[in-house]
Amino acid sequence: MSDAPTETPDAPDAPAEEAPVAVQESTPVESDPVREAIVTQLSGAFGDAIIDSHIARGDLWVRVANDKWAEVVAFCKATLGFRFFDFLGGMDWLNNTNLSGEKVWDPDAEKAIPADMSTGYAGGDSRFQVLCRLFNVDTHMGITLKVDLTADAPTVATISHVFAGADWHERETWEMYGFNFDGHPGLRHLYLPGSFEGFPLRKDFPLLAREIKPWPGLVDKEPMPGEEADEEEVPE
Amino acid sequence: MSLVESGRSPKALTWLLNYGRKRSLWAYQWGLACCAIEMASVYVSPRFDVMRLGVIPFPASARQADLLIISGTVTDKMAPPIRRLYEQMPDPKYVISMGSCANCGGPYWDSYSVTKGVDQIIPVDVYVPGCPPRPEALLEGIVLLQQRIQNEDPAERWRGEPIIVGGGVIS
Amino acid sequence: MTVTETASEWQKAAYIAGQAADARVNVELETEGMTLNIGPQHPATHGTLRIVVRLDGEQVLWADPVPGYMHRGYEKLCEVRKYPQVTTLINRIDWLSSFANEVPFILAAEELLGVEAPPRAQYIRTILFEMARLANITLFLGDMGAQLGAVTPVFYAFRDREHVLDMIESATGGRFHPNFDRVGGIKDDLPKGWIAEAKDVMERVRVFCDQMDQLLVGNEIFQTRTRGIGVVPSAVALDYGLSGANLRASGVDWDLRRDDPTIPMAWKHADFKVWTHPDGDSFARYWVRLQETRESTKIIDQLLDDLPAGPIMTKVPRIIKIPEGEAYVQTENPLGVMGYYVVSKGDLGPFRVKIRTPSFNNISIAPWILRGVYVPDVITILASLYFILGDIDR
Repeated sequence: MSDAPTETPDAPDAPAEEAPVAVQESTPVESDPVREAIVTQLSGAFGDAIIDSHIARGDLWVRVANDKWAEVVAFCKATLGFRFFDFLGGMDWLNNTNLSGEKVWDPDAEKAIPADMSTGYAGGDSRFQVLCRLFNVDTHMGITLKVDLTADAPTVATISHVFAGADWHERETWEMYGFNFDGHPGLRHLYLPGSFEGFPLRKDFPLLAREIKPWPGLVDKEPMPGEEADEEEVPE
Repeated sequence: MSLVESGRSPKALTWLLNYGRKRSLWAYQWGLACCAIEMASVYVSPRFDVMRLGVIPFPASARQADLLIISGTVTDKMAPPIRRLYEQMPDPKYVISMGSCANCGGPYWDSYSVTKGVDQIIPVDVYVPGCPPRPEALLEGIVLLQQRIQNEDPAERWRGEPIIVGGGVIS
Repeated sequence: MTVTETASEWQKAAYIAGQAADARVNVELETEGMTLNIGPQHPATHGTLRIVVRLDGEQVLWADPVPGYMHRGYEKLCEVRKYPQVTTLINRIDWLSSFANEVPFILAAEELLGVEAPPRAQYIRTILFEMARLANITLFLGDMGAQLGAVTPVFYAFRDREHVLDMIESATGGRFHPNFDRVGGIKDDLPKGWIAEAKDVMERVRVFCDQMDQLLVGNEIFQTRTRGIGVVPSAVALDYGLSGANLRASGVDWDLRRDDPTIPMAWKHADFKVWTHPDGDSFARYWVRLQETRESTKIIDQLLDDLPAGPIMTKVPRIIKIPEGEAYVQTENPLGVMGYYVVSKGDLGPFRVKIRTPSFNNISIAPWILRGVYVPDVITILASLYFILGDIDR
């Protein structure tokens, strides 16, 4: 399937411009006192365990020390009123541009962190992170909590006793990333058959089908009517 | 039925038997993914109404079904149950593979958990392309299958090239 | 404060409720336990959910849902697709309301890119979003009857759903999976004569709602089978992350369409009521969805009336490259709160997409809610929680 025409604006006179992205994300200068107060409250209660925070576009990210993870989540629920459990998921910051690389997933391979690895909002020291999103249904505010996990033995405390809904999310994250959740009542396979090897959402897990067969989007690319063959389309 | 099996049955009798079989196909409800809703439209929507073709979508189990419509994505976890239920169906049995996912993996062609085509685990008689195919496409697939059943020689069960609705190649 | 102290009062309550259920079972006749395997192929499971239930007589001791028979690896596949290609894929998560799946992802991409769709595009998006809701919820309204043994509502649902699908098809070209949303707007404008036709269809859907009201809601058998069955208290619902009508049926008055004015969609221009129900049982969930369908038709009517003129696409670069950043956008989808956590590293495709699907959370309450209920109620409760398999398994 071709993806060439999808970005074109509908107006026929719109030239196919190749100008660099004109609209840059405006730096959020306006202060957000409500969310800053939340960060202050968290820092007051946990001190150094609140490593970093980031406020942008009306949203809040907080990075928490690994050993205080469950306590911070419980505090958010009980004291800050984030009672709605949104999701819990993993994150692998490994920079793997060629996801379909030839390397077959090898659990014993060296887990070197490349120098150009960048972590997102509120930073990160390690390749692996766990994100947890909570929501306050009274003030209609969300918070994303992050925690670093070490690359060689990724482990974090479970929060399934704080939010019962986290049970399945932790099972999923365990299955997809191989993270261990300390104290979880039963880390069993949720999605994949028990014989599945590897952790599919890790960045070094290759999609074997892409190695055998080229991406079909590159093969049957068609130019639009009245248009020269599209050559500026950048492949994967 | 030994007459039929020996292949010496009169032509008229063969025609009658085939006619009976094609007009009373019991289709097992096998809803897998998006296509299941289009299949359900064919089954229960008054606009499409497959029963006017003599297809009855209410067998209680696979053991009473003649036709299996694989409607949707077949995952590696789902493949063993499909194989098992197919084996439970009595002969002669027919399989319609509905939608791109069942045909060849479709949009999940590079997924780590999707079986790239149900024909890897069971033989398929009719392929219906589309993502999902419109109910009309499935109806055409059923009609084509019925034509094939009508012309079938019961003595040696047909095992030829599958039909692809609308022509084309399944890669 | 220690963790054990905060270990959710409702966890304890759930444990006590479970103990009570066990006690109830034990004082009655001694029966031999039995493990019943429902699925993975079962008409009552909307697809391929497998549930292992341990029974004592007619009562469920514990239930363990086994999802994953429809797991297609969306989060991994999104990492190897470009932004315009991702919408093709995520159409198929909740296949009954495909357009609604695209919207939060596109909104997240727009937020990272720093653009906003023009007003007309926002209106058309919202209209199609609500149409997707109708296409989804009408099926539930009929199917719930089928799970209780009343087959007629299903035929009605499929009959009237076709009209909604026709409208979606004539506007987008796709009957099921429109793939109509673009970063910065939508693909096409509405066709001529669409508005009048859409209003007719809304009238039909309202008639359908009245029919369901008479056929099911007022039906004594329906009420007996659903009232007081599968009660979810509001705190438990929040704990498990239930959302949408499941949450509102438990009395939590929270609807992102009304409560989040920062979402660049046209809901804030429409006047509608968010219905809640205090009971939290199967009946409440059905009733809330029925009212929501009516409100949805009203929203579409109002938005069609004040559809603004103007462009449908804002100026975006031809090749979409999203600047580095993270964004989480959630919207009130037919099944509940659906959100996309999009992480971009400035490439043509997203670096990571975490998909928060409503059904996953909605069905994760099943082990809690199914404790101590009778076998026939298992089907009713699961039907009333309303899940789509693709939405659980992704």
